[in-house]
Amino acid sequence: MSFLLGLLVGLAAGIVSYLLFAASARNSSVIVTNADSVAEEVQPNEDIESLLLIRDAVNSLSVGVVVVGADGKVNFRNKLAESVTGVIHADVLVEEVVEQHLSIALKGETKRQVLDLFGPPRKVFGVSATPLTIGGAVAMIEDITERYLVDAVRTDFVANISHELKTPVGALAVLAEALSQEDDLEVIHRLSEKMVDEAIRVGRTIDDLLELSRIEFGGEAVKDEVDAASILAESISRAAPLASLHSIKIAMTELPYPLKVVGDRRQLVSAIGNLVENAVKYSESGSSVEVTARSDGDSVEFAVTDFGLGIPARDLDRVFERFYRVDRARSRDTGGTGLGLAIVRHVANNHGGDVSVTSIEGEGSTFSLKIPKFVGREQDMRESA
Amino acid sequence: MNRLAHDELMELRSELLRVTASLVESIPRATQILLEQDLEGAEYQILADDEFDARTMDLEDRCIALMALHAPVASELRHAVTIMKMAADIERSADLVVNICKVARRIHGIQLDPKMRGLIGRMGAQAQILFRHAIQAYADLDLPMAKAVDDMDLFLDYLHRQFIESIFESHSAGTIDLSVAIQMAVTARFYERIGDHAVNVAHFVCYLITGEIPPAGDHRRGGRIGDADSNFEGLTS
Repeated sequence: MSFLLGLLVGLAAGIVSYLLFAASARNSSVIVTNADSVAEEVQPNEDIESLLLIRDAVNSLSVGVVVVGADGKVNFRNKLAESVTGVIHADVLVEEVVEQHLSIALKGETKRQVLDLFGPPRKVFGVSATPLTIGGAVAMIEDITERYLVDAVRTDFVANISHELKTPVGALAVLAEALSQEDDLEVIHRLSEKMVDEAIRVGRTIDDLLELSRIEFGGEAVKDEVDAASILAESISRAAPLASLHSIKIAMTELPYPLKVVGDRRQLVSAIGNLVENAVKYSESGSSVEVTARSDGDSVEFAVTDFGLGIPARDLDRVFERFYRVDRARSRDTGGTGLGLAIVRHVANNHGGDVSVTSIEGEGSTFSLKIPKFVGREQDMRESA
Repeated sequence: MNRLAHDELMELRSELLRVTASLVESIPRATQILLEQDLEGAEYQILADDEFDARTMDLEDRCIALMALHAPVASELRHAVTIMKMAADIERSADLVVNICKVARRIHGIQLDPKMRGLIGRMGAQAQILFRHAIQAYADLDLPMAKAVDDMDLFLDYLHRQFIESIFESHSAGTIDLSVAIQMAVTARFYERIGDHAVNVAHFVCYLITGEIPPAGDHRRGGRIGDADSNFEGLTS
């Protein structure tokens, strides 16, 4: 019994000193009892209770905590630390770094390292270890994957938007300057044609940006009853001219029964139209694009499949970002604004739906958009069949 | 065998798991380096191989010392032998990863067509899956999983053949020139070899558990490493 008590007290000393450290590091006003007084003065029962409380608290932290004694033996590992460290695969790599840092911390130094693991799934951890005042050391493992990805999105967005907007405007300025000093009629014609092209391009980008912010900040989407087949038909007709230009066949699977969704007709056509247009743009001439809708539980799943370039696995999570380009060199050829998929994602969010993509490079991609099904007064009985 | 020696064996096991974890991690890294033609990443990966070599060499030395000093028998002898053999396969696989990074340097500035990129990605993923399963089988002493690795390698071989076909297609369509085509063929071989090493590791896991090394499957053209046509190797150095 006394052995068990001693063990718990030892444990508490580590935890309390960690909390002390955390409190002082964050300049917070939390008052924590001194480690020595816990061990010596408090009643045994209360002691155990408060220790269990602290252990529970440390276990519920969103940071992995590993405490070692002065001898280097692991004293305590909270739940999160247990889940990210181990003996095999990526877990052992985290464990390795934690061990290294703890041994450095035992010598009195504090070090921090960012550990970038390819996975899959990709994970980024911040690992740091600090010596404790009563001997021993504590290591903290923070999962910063999300933050890393968000940072990447932000920096890329700033770079991309300036590229997309400044390039055509810059071209316009140069063309206008050349035009103002030109007398040759033929050259004037050529330059002004180019100016029109650039103006159309920047106009389209701005239109899409406005459309995007309208969907983004436009509040709640309208909740109409919309027929899925008519959305598909309209979306396909939007992409038809481009498709016939490259002799790409858009095949729509006939729906076996009428499907109805809840939503804003205009937004849905814009979203699916964008998906079909994209599919056509990234297909090779002569290939085909398949468009279909099917009932899936409480929602209707629209799917657009192409057999074109496909998307590299690395870019798959990011294609829905504003201005994100898989291949920047191609962006002018396809004539897109880089906003299409961002619009699709926002439409999905507005409707309480979801958009996802699967793709294999060189074989093609499938985008699917899920929109809640219309459950009306006069719901078609055949749907449930 | 005394407790000291037993502890040493357990330490060797944990070190082997660590080294393999960093190998498994480096496979998708190399694939990305190749697809992105990330020269800095390639340089880093190539330099990192020295540490890898040192660690696997150390593992082998320690296994020999263990066998010489403590004369383990039965399953413990098999375990020591297994670690030593696996270390060699892992070291060789790490070299192949480095070779893939070197290809990234050689094809710098060349645009690969999407179909080839897709197949490279899939081969890389499959090679990693093979190694993951092989080492998982070792960690858990899981015989069925170790045997499954052999079958999983068939898919990698299939991807390899598909990739070679796509190289011929691209070359006859004139989208890549001969030197790039050769580099790509070599790269495909590297991935296929990593898979073979994973199969070897899995075979040693079978040996560790049962005491017998499974015969090389009839379905495999080359079978075990060493008898596959190695004439591609000359192109790498």
